[in-house]
Amino acid sequence: MMRILLILLLLVLGPQGFAAESYLDVTAPTSGKMKLAIGPTTALSGAVPGDVARELPELFGFDLGIAGPFEIAPGEAAGALLLKSAYGVQGDTAILECRLVDQVLNKEIIAKRYSGRVKDLRRMGHAFSDEVLRVLTGEKGPFTGKIAYVSKASGNKEIYIMDYDGHNPQRLTNNGSINLYPDFAPSGKELIYTSYKKGNPDLYRRELFTGQEARLSSRSGLNAMGVFSQDGNKIALVLSKDGNSEIYQMSRDGKDLVRLTNNHAIDVSPAWSPDGSRIAFVSDRLGKPQLFVMDANGGNVRRLTTNGAYNVTPRWSPKGDRIVYSRKEGGFQIHAISPDGSGDAQLTSAGSNEHPRYSPDGRFIIFSSTRDGGEGLYLMRADGSGQTRISPDRAQNTHPTWSVNW
Amino acid sequence: MRTNIAGCLVVLCMGALVAGGCAKKDLVKPEEKAPSVTAPAPETAKPALEPTAPKAPVTEQTPVREPVVAQEPVRETPKAGAGDLQGQLQKIYFNFDSSDLSEDSRNILTRNAEYLSKQPSLKIRIEGNCDERGSDDYNMALGERRAKAAKDYLVNLGISSERISILSYGEEKPVDAGHDEAAWAKNRRDEFVVVK
Repeated sequence: MMRILLILLLLVLGPQGFAAESYLDVTAPTSGKMKLAIGPTTALSGAVPGDVARELPELFGFDLGIAGPFEIAPGEAAGALLLKSAYGVQGDTAILECRLVDQVLNKEIIAKRYSGRVKDLRRMGHAFSDEVLRVLTGEKGPFTGKIAYVSKASGNKEIYIMDYDGHNPQRLTNNGSINLYPDFAPSGKELIYTSYKKGNPDLYRRELFTGQEARLSSRSGLNAMGVFSQDGNKIALVLSKDGNSEIYQMSRDGKDLVRLTNNHAIDVSPAWSPDGSRIAFVSDRLGKPQLFVMDANGGNVRRLTTNGAYNVTPRWSPKGDRIVYSRKEGGFQIHAISPDGSGDAQLTSAGSNEHPRYSPDGRFIIFSSTRDGGEGLYLMRADGSGQTRISPDRAQNTHPTWSVNW
Repeated sequence: MRTNIAGCLVVLCMGALVAGGCAKKDLVKPEEKAPSVTAPAPETAKPALEPTAPKAPVTEQTPVREPVVAQEPVRETPKAGAGDLQGQLQKIYFNFDSSDLSEDSRNILTRNAEYLSKQPSLKIRIEGNCDERGSDDYNMALGERRAKAAKDYLVNLGISSERISILSYGEEKPVDAGHDEAAWAKNRRDEFVVVK
């Protein structure tokens, strides 16, 4: 494959094709990573404010460093690839012009110009990082997505959202009650969550940009752990209206309720497979909490985890090939396993780690951890590498969930 | 991995040469609020690395995205104006990951039932709680199971189930914020709250 491409390239480029070969030499470091230089942010007009000059290269370095395939090098000369950015302000509008250049082939790989409010500068930067991943790996980055999470910063558990890297935290709920289990609709424009604000733990759906809210399920007992199916049409959740926690599914409007489990044991934490055909969940029907998988109609239940005495909170990867979960052995550690029960791998070891979820593109897992004291939010690659704290504060932050790109 | 990326690069460079000028509009979805791609695409394939006046790429409007923060009234925790009545109903405690009623708990429940039978108009809510060590998802169900265990016991002692509602707070409402067994033991509990 590679050889064919090179031959084609030689045909197209003629003499420049030799540059391609030397490019391959340059990008053969022992680390296996491609060197990507982040140039300083230059001015489109006037001078670049000091905070922007510092912030933008840092942002690109963080995004593309956590991404995995690159070795980030500061300064223009150090990499085969160079990311250049230029910034300017016209009235209230910020302009950000970004280019990714192959310094060996002497080619501009991609160029983008963004305009928007000055306060949206980070968003523009993340948008270019998304594009860099798209052109270099074939799959867009998730960096303009938002993280919703539960924080006790106000003293009560309220729902917040922030950028994926911990910037711009904003409180969404403000009811002084207990608010839990946020889950984004696949559109990223709606959020469901459970709140005790009217006394009972009921399920709500919030329109993020209008603030409009609907109470989707207020049956007696738990209305909790709601999760959207990948197509956004269904919600799986836990209800206890029949005397004991069971898993149900319903429409996105709270109608057409179907009971999926029927067992005296605890059944909680439903997680859809990306194709909507199966649901992973937690049950202690065999004594201790373990992961199970069933068909989306409740049939064909089989046990997934056989190691460990206490396995909880499964989440399916967007591609369907892995299920991430948390295992309690003293504290919690995050593991991932294939849906057929093979390939169980431990991904964390420091502190106690819970609430793992994949990013919408599957590259990353976001989770909460006690490793630095308190309970903070962390990010790692799906293979467990690159574990990085992203929490904006020292408050108790849990239950992160990552939206599609806004 | 390296070869793949290099391969992508090669393809991309070729793509830029062959199909230079192809617009990349996928950042802005049609239903977004203030989107517009304001100029034709330039994705230039110019070999010059440092053009003195770089051709401006397509400008993409960054859509304004402001989530609305709810201005909800802060809820006052309803305290039944029945301090004396409330004081008569004692809490019960549980072992880790268990909703079994100990002998102590059964004795307390028997006393609570005697009190409730003398106050036939009284309605109560049993609130089940857990310590922080388990999974909070699982604890939400465990707290409910603890509340239900007490309710079932009271009903067996002759208290009408109509008078008893149950509610789980999982591990969300600890009475002791500590992180040791003394705190955990206090938090694994059922509370009996007079609601009417």
